[in-house]
Amino acid sequence: MATRPARSLAAQERRFALALLVPALVVLLVTTTVPLVYLAWTSLMRLDLAMAYLSGFAGLDNYVKMGSDPRFWNSLVLTGIYTASTVILQVVIGLALALLVLQIPRGQALLRVGAILPIVLAPVVVGLFWRTLVLAPDFGLVDLVTRSLGLGSHNWLGDPDLALISVIAIHTWQWTPFAFLVLLASLATLPPDVYEAARLDRASAWQRFRHITLPLIRPAVVMVVILRTMTALSAFAAIFAATGGGPGSATEILNLYAYRTSFTELNLGYGSSLAMVLLAITLAISFLMFRLRRAR
Amino acid sequence: MDRHKYWRRLVLAVVAGVGVAVWVFPVLWALATSFKTERDVLAYPPVWLFEPTLANYREVLVGSSSIVPNLWSSLVVATLTTVLTMLIALPAAYALGRLRYPAKRASGFYVLGTQMLPPMGLIIPYYLVLQKMGALDTYAGLTVIYLTFALPFAIWLMVSYFEDVPFEMEEAALLDRAGRLRTLWYVILPQVRGGIAVTTIFVFLNAWNEFMFAVVLGGNRVRTVTVAMFNFISVEQTQWAKVAAGAMLAMLPVILIGFFAQRHIVKGLTVGAVKGGGRR
Repeated sequence: MATRPARSLAAQERRFALALLVPALVVLLVTTTVPLVYLAWTSLMRLDLAMAYLSGFAGLDNYVKMGSDPRFWNSLVLTGIYTASTVILQVVIGLALALLVLQIPRGQALLRVGAILPIVLAPVVVGLFWRTLVLAPDFGLVDLVTRSLGLGSHNWLGDPDLALISVIAIHTWQWTPFAFLVLLASLATLPPDVYEAARLDRASAWQRFRHITLPLIRPAVVMVVILRTMTALSAFAAIFAATGGGPGSATEILNLYAYRTSFTELNLGYGSSLAMVLLAITLAISFLMFRLRRAR
Repeated sequence: MDRHKYWRRLVLAVVAGVGVAVWVFPVLWALATSFKTERDVLAYPPVWLFEPTLANYREVLVGSSSIVPNLWSSLVVATLTTVLTMLIALPAAYALGRLRYPAKRASGFYVLGTQMLPPMGLIIPYYLVLQKMGALDTYAGLTVIYLTFALPFAIWLMVSYFEDVPFEMEEAALLDRAGRLRTLWYVILPQVRGGIAVTTIFVFLNAWNEFMFAVVLGGNRVRTVTVAMFNFISVEQTQWAKVAAGAMLAMLPVILIGFFAQRHIVKGLTVGAVKGGGRR
């Protein structure tokens, strides 16, 4: 007698859950999965809006073309450099600053307000600020400093080598506060008694960090790395506003190359195949990192 | 010993202060620039004391390059996105966070997977389809693609809030034969009010700040502020003061949100990042 109501309760719970879940799943299916299937299809097409009469099925031509496309390989290398350097800089600076700030008894709220500012700004506006007020030759903030120090003026966004460093700096500037805030919150939850014990054992500051702090905040660090990697792989607006991918293709990460191919050169077929590669890289990295997170 | 502590604190404060100044100063500099004349902007050495002018704001509000229509476009798209997202995400997050049903892990993974998709992969199919439907440059078209980043994010953030509500609350309400929907509405939702506020803020912020979808799928009718700001720089190359004034207006809503909701924002970033979801 007692099992029947329990079983019907479970059935009722199942029906209720599905009713709540189905709208979201249907919307996600229609708005994300179906378009991706279409993308896979267009990546097999010759689809050039500038030469529409040539459009048609092309098999794997677009993918074969990548092999001998130096601009594609260049964009892959730049994506690697851009992603690795911005993520490492954000985590290292963010963690160092969080460890420092944790030891300041007062004024943390003020620091938080300051740190939130870059996060809430639109990346395109950040790119514009840096292009004009911060990095412009002669009158930008950076040049005002280098000029007054006698180091002269530099074309921070116009020189190919400097431009890559500049867009990395812009990204790091905007998103380090994210790593800082999350790691600060994570550090604040650590139990103080562990540290007391370690101190009694005369563990050095480095030993305490290496063997107590780091293992305890590892999940938060890994999560920050995953999220920041995803953002860096899809970085667009700030670079687009600051350099447009240039000069030449000096700051053209894969995301920008796919965009320019599709919407500047209107070659949507090849653009689709480039987007497919970005998609594959992004999903592969997130899959690997989530496995890494669960390991240990 | 005490003196050592004092110096230590001073050094810490200075380092932290410099760190924050690096983040705050460029924005304050832009704010100052927005009140300068174009001539003062290009003064060397820079003028610290200048006669503030409202001319730039007059220009971007009521002048020929007014961004008011763009502010309206952004408001419409961001509001539509936020309302739709919350309506769809809240029930789904409740099911994912608290109910037992088959294929729960799989559905959770699917939502997480959609959150990892690069926007670049979506924009080409959307462009082609919306063009065919004649729906480029419409609020509907832009709102639908905004759901692709807002929905997975909102679902995962809300799941983490739903999980924090003690399960006894539901059991008690269900024993009273309150019905599942009534329990959700009257018992559980009030418990996650804070989470709903945080999620709403984040979804609105992300939609307001979006650029790539808006620049490709928008046009003359639907042109959000982020696109307008970008066009500003290519048209008004050297008029930095005007650009700064426009940027300040465009970013005023999100800066105000950031300022007044700072506690919530920190919590939202942390919950999302520490527990699993959350992509900004």
